[in-house]
Amino acid sequence: MAEQKTELKGGNDGWAGERGDFAHLSEADVRGTSYVGVRPLEGRAAGGACSYPYQLAEKHPEAPLFEGPYRERLEKIKSRYPDAQGALLPTLNLAQEIHGWLSPADMDRVAEELGLSPVYVRGVATFYTMYNKAPVGTWLVQVCTNVCCNICGADEVMQAFLEHTGTEPGEISDDGLFTCIPAECLGACGFPTVVQVNERYFENVTPEDVPAILERLRREAPKQER
Amino acid sequence: MAYPYRHERETRVLTEAFGDPAARSIEGWKKYGGYEALRKALGMAPNDVIEVVKASGLRGRGGAGFPTGVKWSFMPKDDSRQPHYLLINADESEPGAFKDRELLRWTPHQVIEGALIGAHAIRAKHVYIYMRGEFFEPAQIVGRAIEEAYEAGFAGADIMGSGISIDVTLHLGAGAYICGEETGLMNSLEGRRGQPRVKPPFPAVMGAFSRPTTINNVETVATVPHILRRGAEWYRSMGTEKSPGTKLFNVSGHVVRRGNFELPLGFPLKDLIYDVCGGIRDGRELKAVIPGGSSVPILAASECDINLDYESVAAAGSMLGTASVIVMDDRTDIVKAVRRMVEFYSHESCGQCTPCREGTEWTAKIMRRIEAGEGTMEDLDTLLEIGRNMTGTTICVLSDSCAAPVASSIAKFRDEYMARIRREVPAGALTV
Repeated sequence: MAEQKTELKGGNDGWAGERGDFAHLSEADVRGTSYVGVRPLEGRAAGGACSYPYQLAEKHPEAPLFEGPYRERLEKIKSRYPDAQGALLPTLNLAQEIHGWLSPADMDRVAEELGLSPVYVRGVATFYTMYNKAPVGTWLVQVCTNVCCNICGADEVMQAFLEHTGTEPGEISDDGLFTCIPAECLGACGFPTVVQVNERYFENVTPEDVPAILERLRREAPKQER
Repeated sequence: MAYPYRHERETRVLTEAFGDPAARSIEGWKKYGGYEALRKALGMAPNDVIEVVKASGLRGRGGAGFPTGVKWSFMPKDDSRQPHYLLINADESEPGAFKDRELLRWTPHQVIEGALIGAHAIRAKHVYIYMRGEFFEPAQIVGRAIEEAYEAGFAGADIMGSGISIDVTLHLGAGAYICGEETGLMNSLEGRRGQPRVKPPFPAVMGAFSRPTTINNVETVATVPHILRRGAEWYRSMGTEKSPGTKLFNVSGHVVRRGNFELPLGFPLKDLIYDVCGGIRDGRELKAVIPGGSSVPILAASECDINLDYESVAAAGSMLGTASVIVMDDRTDIVKAVRRMVEFYSHESCGQCTPCREGTEWTAKIMRRIEAGEGTMEDLDTLLEIGRNMTGTTICVLSDSCAAPVASSIAKFRDEYMARIRREVPAGALTV
């Protein structure tokens, strides 16, 4: 398709292309990383206990769930709901944060933890797309292909991610680093094409930007795969 | 000073601090007058807070435009028998909508302050901010802000020494558009599938955890502190009589400057596109506009001489919705764009109601067939017939939202469908 270049487009420098009148802000300024700071595993005040990303680059698929600091955070989470069932989504989130995906055994473990039946937990977990029912790569790359990104070339961006990682949608690349899938609207429609990589958004991504983004992600991947 | 572009015709109220990283912290937010309104509200009786918001004419920003003060007044006046809840709908997922994300990531305390005022007004002791799971970055910012609010004594027990206690909890979803529907949201919060509930009972009678509940959009509650601080009269001095105040217009698609712009309601759509957003990219022509997110009927270029307030957009046969303006230039392939929207609704249908579960799926199949050049003339009638059966027949309006762009695009861009059916590539359309 024809490129949608205009003189205002600055080119994507690895995370966002069109920052318009705010181009003086750093990536950290826009992402708010210094304000957020380091989030301790046990959580701070309980009201924010659910604010942790549950799609992390570093995964511990064999680790026991809900022990040590994770136990502490889980208790904080549970204290925020009038019944155990209310804590189901955040508990599933926490399990995925630790293991990187939710195996049937993980869902059963969550059911046991909250006193719910295993079949109920499976029924809920399979309703939601963000629970990975199979392992994913270090980086889960989700390309928005919904209408606002689509009319600006999202299908080509999706194709570029598949080509440059040598994968089909949902597969893990041979080096274990990437799983690419198309996504529904990510709620950042003014910045097409929007790509979510684990917890971060990459904005105004064009097919030409894809190699540089993948290179950055290779650089940032945790050194020791567990 | 919205993000990522500024424009001189903006009226900065909610967006004043956008682009100022310091405004995220509680200290930074106080420099913008933060938490003065909460202090004032806690000194007022709950009913008086409701009266101020009623007088301001503020209408809910989640899409329906229902008057916020009136919604709050539906809550029982007695909270001694059962707890009340306030839920903040931060599940922004309507294709085209990206305003709440900016409010959450630039001004988390604006949202929290508004939520606390709302909770006081409806006598809720607990606020849940239900944020879509994909918003990890805004979630970490809001989570940190909630922790700061507790540390400062602005949330939790005995807020500012008022004797009033309100807890705030951030809750993350896990990827389901339907959880943005208020009763689906409540089910999801309760640890269920996010399937909408039959109304009645309405949330104010039996909502989250079977208790009286109000659900407000992020932008709605973010507006409330400004109304408390500056008064209902001031708020009414902006916008139109029936649609007062400012609104975040989130513009996507083929304009030169995409982004959020805060403008008074009633702002002309053409001025938004050609002045504020700098016109169509690459000197192209306008073909169509979806003025309120993907769920509302599409407007052809010839129908765009309208003002952007709830009444005017409705009079033009569409809806203001979330004021998420999707602009399409003359190269846009309408059939492909509509097919993609329909596939979205098909993917997101929760499956409870037959007209939606089956209707969205069959609509998507037929749209794919037409796009591939394998459609027939009868397909257009079938699409419209399915759409009629999907409208007003289900628990929630997801089904209606799927039917609306199909019907409006067939009515207004019939020649593009015909070209596909006749296996001609429509003139000016993208070839894929």
